[in-house]
This record gives sequence, structure tokens and C-alpha cells, in this order.
Amino acid sequence: MRLTEEPGTALLPSGFIDLLQHEAEAEARGIEAVMDVFAGHGYERVRPPLLEFETSLLHGAGQALEEQTFRLMDPESRRMMALRPDMTTQIARIAATRLAGSPRPLRLSYAGSCILVGTQGRETERQISQAGIELIGIDSIEADTEIVLIAAEALRTLGIESFSFDLSCPALVQGLVDLSGYTGARRAQLVHALDRKDMAAVAELGGPVAAILTALVEACGPADTALPILEGLSLPPRIREIADRLIAVVRALGDRDPSLRLTVDPVEFRGWQYHTGVCMTVFAVGQREELGRGGRYLAQGDEPACGLTFRPEILLRAARPITLKPRVYIAAEVADAAGPARLRRDGYATVAGLAPVDDLAAEARRLKCRFVFVADELITL
Amino acid sequence: MTALTAPDSSPDAPRAASPCATSSCVASDAPLVLALPKGRILKALGPVLERTGLFHDGSAIGEGTRSLRFPTQDPQVDVVRVRSFDVATFVAHGGAQIGVCGADVLMEFDYPDIYAPLDLGIGGCRISIARPVDARHEETAVASSHIRVATKYPTITRRHFATQGINAEIVHLHGAMELAPTLDMASIIVDLVDTGSTLKANGLRETEVIAHVTSRLIVNRVALKTRPEAIRALIERFRDALQEKAA
Repeated sequence: MRLTEEPGTALLPSGFIDLLQHEAEAEARGIEAVMDVFAGHGYERVRPPLLEFETSLLHGAGQALEEQTFRLMDPESRRMMALRPDMTTQIARIAATRLAGSPRPLRLSYAGSCILVGTQGRETERQISQAGIELIGIDSIEADTEIVLIAAEALRTLGIESFSFDLSCPALVQGLVDLSGYTGARRAQLVHALDRKDMAAVAELGGPVAAILTALVEACGPADTALPILEGLSLPPRIREIADRLIAVVRALGDRDPSLRLTVDPVEFRGWQYHTGVCMTVFAVGQREELGRGGRYLAQGDEPACGLTFRPEILLRAARPITLKPRVYIAAEVADAAGPARLRRDGYATVAGLAPVDDLAAEARRLKCRFVFVADELITL
Repeated sequence: MTALTAPDSSPDAPRAASPCATSSCVASDAPLVLALPKGRILKALGPVLERTGLFHDGSAIGEGTRSLRFPTQDPQVDVVRVRSFDVATFVAHGGAQIGVCGADVLMEFDYPDIYAPLDLGIGGCRISIARPVDARHEETAVASSHIRVATKYPTITRRHFATQGINAEIVHLHGAMELAPTLDMASIIVDLVDTGSTLKANGLRETEVIAHVTSRLIVNRVALKTRPEAIRALIERFRDALQEKAA
């Protein structure tokens, strides 16, 4: 390679990829399978636009998305527009405006692409897919568990077995950091140390809450070991209340589905930062990225809501492989369309020969067909 | 996506283009990979590793093998020996689930996928600014808006000087930073200082400590979430080994 060589036309901007035949097929089918599960539980699909005015997309809870948002100017209205980096806040907007009159609890689902600015070390993913559900207008343990149980059903539908839900509650950490009384840079340092579970730094920076924070980090782990620790900790009353809700949700989940793998991380607060209640992150053994995440937040007008968003790209890496339709090469001589139509009904993909060829079998193989259809007969190659 | 297999074995079917082809895609019963740094830290770590029961002889880790990955006394733990800067990268990308690296490396990379649950208290030293002994008074540097710095820590250096309103121009070196001021490549250096004797021998003096550092036990975030029992057990082994030392 010469150093002066120009990049080829195949080069895409960093973070954007072409999905090729089988990959795109798998993605579409995976999303449909997940959406079917959501629909089966009464979640109705909505489709917000890719672009919105910056002022409405980044309104309220959306403020947390600011750093991740690509912006462009609308030549018509001369207003600044933003490409959505996340769909949850759009669903919250729809619920609070167009669907304000719909009966609560409102169950909505969605799937679509989002564009992120990306973070360091994650430049490979700037266009991501999302598929998710939102349960709006109710704040209860049952609502929180419904979201997790439906998500678990979707994961099983895709053939993903080794998944786990990590339950957390960002308000817990935020409340404790508030109690420390620190502001500005000192607070930011403490929050960063907690996010990285840098225990030396937490002990050093935590001041009056260092002991509680350390104990909370120690509590992280499988639900059956984490919950007793969390229950036994002496916490300030307001924090106790938040912790009890987290414990109640984890217990309810364990009761409803004892086979669920649950971990608890009381100091986890990573994500879009608009969550106010119990949050969940989906992991699977062998996958180095989160399969999805969600949690409880306040939609517009402080309406309680809980939702979960899957990342279909990651889901599909863990999912059972899809089976593609077997391809049949239809000889150009076949005049009657009924034969090929019957094959398609039987689950084959028909590839029409557009001109007569000498060697049917060779032509079929060249076009990745395992069968040839000629003279009303299906021949296996 | 590895989830894809075409029903026919057509040779030109799109192959998996997934980062999941890394060793992070391990089954739940595969051995954990522990990344250890070569050199200074490993020497200090030897006794700790002996007490964890992972090695009989902590001073001879990986000796007598050209292989970069080797087993330990625990069949559920394998070790890879890499450069100290690379330990963080191995753990962040899930190649290793657990590792030992200096807080300096963590500060430099600041990988969101790394947790640092345990301070091993070994390999103590500091990231410092050093300048030629005969340099003009430091105030001149503070007053200027730009400074040229030789370092192997570009991120830490830029961040440190940015808080003082100074743009640091980085001369990125991987070793022998001490030569840079005398050869007029940079006016100061930012480097790891232990005893300070190398600085002295090269006509430099330490003028400011940016951070004190020790070695940390680090773990991959997703590994901790998906294999919590195994990872926590290993952390506990290190914690016990440290307490044994203190006792």
C-alpha cells in the first residue's frame, strides 16, 4: 500500500456498515420475532420519525441525549433538527401529546434505527437498531416486572438461553452522592469513580458516604447473595425506600419466573441518565456488549413510565441462526407460472432463469441454487 | 453476525463480520483469563500471586515457555503476559476477564468497560512533571498558553494542562522520555517516577506530582455481570492474599 493511496468508494464513515444478504435478512426477521412477542402482550406499534426539531427531541428527559446527537439545519424552517440517538424519549413525547387521551396504562412498542455520535472505543457503532416497549401511566412493582418478563420471553423466542438481567437503581447512587454534600468537580470525580467501581478512589473521595458506597459495591452480584446484603445495610430513610423498591422488584421477578438469572448492582447508573426508578440491563454469557437496557423514568408531565429497549444487532449475535429459504433455479423454458408459485408456497425461493442456458445445473450452482425446476419437475443438485 | 448460517454451503455466502470472533465469546465454563503485565509490576506481584495459590513460584511466572498464554495451578484460570499498557486493553475488550495494571494506565485510557474493584497497594509510584534542572523558573510555563511535552501519557498530559488553561503539544514517546528536553524535543516531560534516579542522571528534576498510582486488580464489566460467582471468587482470592501479607 502506498501512503498516498485514496480510500476506495467502499469505505463508509466510521461507525456505519452495510448489512449484506443474510445479515440483513437475519436482522429483519429477528426484529419481527421480537415485535411479535411485544404485540402478543398488547403492546401496539408506533413509528416516530428519524428527525425531529432539536428543541422537542432534547426536551425534558431528552436533555440527557444531547451529547450523543447529530444535528442538521432544516433549510425550510431554518430550525435546528436532530437525528434521534434513542427512541424512548420519542415514545414519551407521543404518549404525552398525540396519545394524551388514550387510556392508561398505555402499552406501546417500536423498532427503528438511531444515529449516535458514538463514544471513544465504540466508534464502530454509530447507526444502531432499537426494538422496545414502553408501559406508560403506571408506577408499580407489577409494571416493572411485566417489562422484564416480556423481554425474557422475547429473548427465549430468539433462542437466546444464557441471558441475565442486571437490576439496578440509579436514584440510589444519586441520592447517596447528594448526601455527600459534594458539588462540582469533587462530585464529578466521585461519580466517575463509582461508575468505574474504582474502590480505592471511592474510599478516598466518598467522605461521609464512603462506607455506605463501598458496602453497596460489595453487594453487587447474583440476586440471592446481593439481596440479603442490601436488606441488612443501614441506609438513610429516603435511600432505604429506593432500595426496598429494588429489592421488591427483584423478589417479584424471582417468584414469577424462578429460572431467570438475575444479578443486582445497586451502584449501576450507566446509560441515558433519565431513569428515576428500577433499571435493568440485559447481558448474555459470551456477548461482550449489553443486549438491551431499560428502566423506570418520568415521561413528559411527570407521567410514570417503564420500558426496555433491545439492541437487535447484539441480540442476533447471540440468537439461534436463521434458516434461509432453499433456492430453486427455474429454467427459462418453464412457461407455466403455477409451478414456481407452488414452490414459493411450499417455502422455496424461486430464481427465474431469464434466458435459456446449456448447462442448467452449472447455472443453478452459480446462482447459489440447490435445486433446478424444469419440465414440471424439481431436481435436487 | 455469527448467528448466520446459510442452509447451503455456498462458498461466497457472507461470512461472519462480527467482533464476537474474539475470545470474549467464551462459554460460562471456559477458564477465566488473567492478564498480567511484564516487568516492574510483575516482580512486586509475585508474592501476592503465590499467596493466591495460582503459582508456586511467583518470581518465575511464564519463564521457560515461549507461549504467551499458560495455565496456573487453578484449571479455571489461565494467564496471559502482556505489556503493562496492553493489560487494560485486553481486559476492556474482553480478551481477558481480569487483570493487574497500574492506575496510570487506567487514567490514560479510562475505558468504560473496566472496573477496578481492588487496590493491590503494590508498584507504588507517581505520574510527575519533570524539567531540566537548569530550566528557567516554572512561572514562565504557567503564563504561556502552550507547552511542548514528551510523554507516554498523552491523554493525562493534555487533561492536566487543559485544567490550567494550557494547550499541551504532545511528543509521544514510548520510552527514554528523559532525553527529550536535553535534545530540545520538548521543554518538559510527564512520566512515571519511582525513585527519581533516572531523572537525576539525565539532568531533570521532578517539579509537580500529577497523581500517585498503585497497581489495581481490574475486571471486565460484562464478565462481572455474566459470570459474577467466578469473578468475585477470584477477587476474593486476591483480597485474602493481600490481607495475609498485611497480617
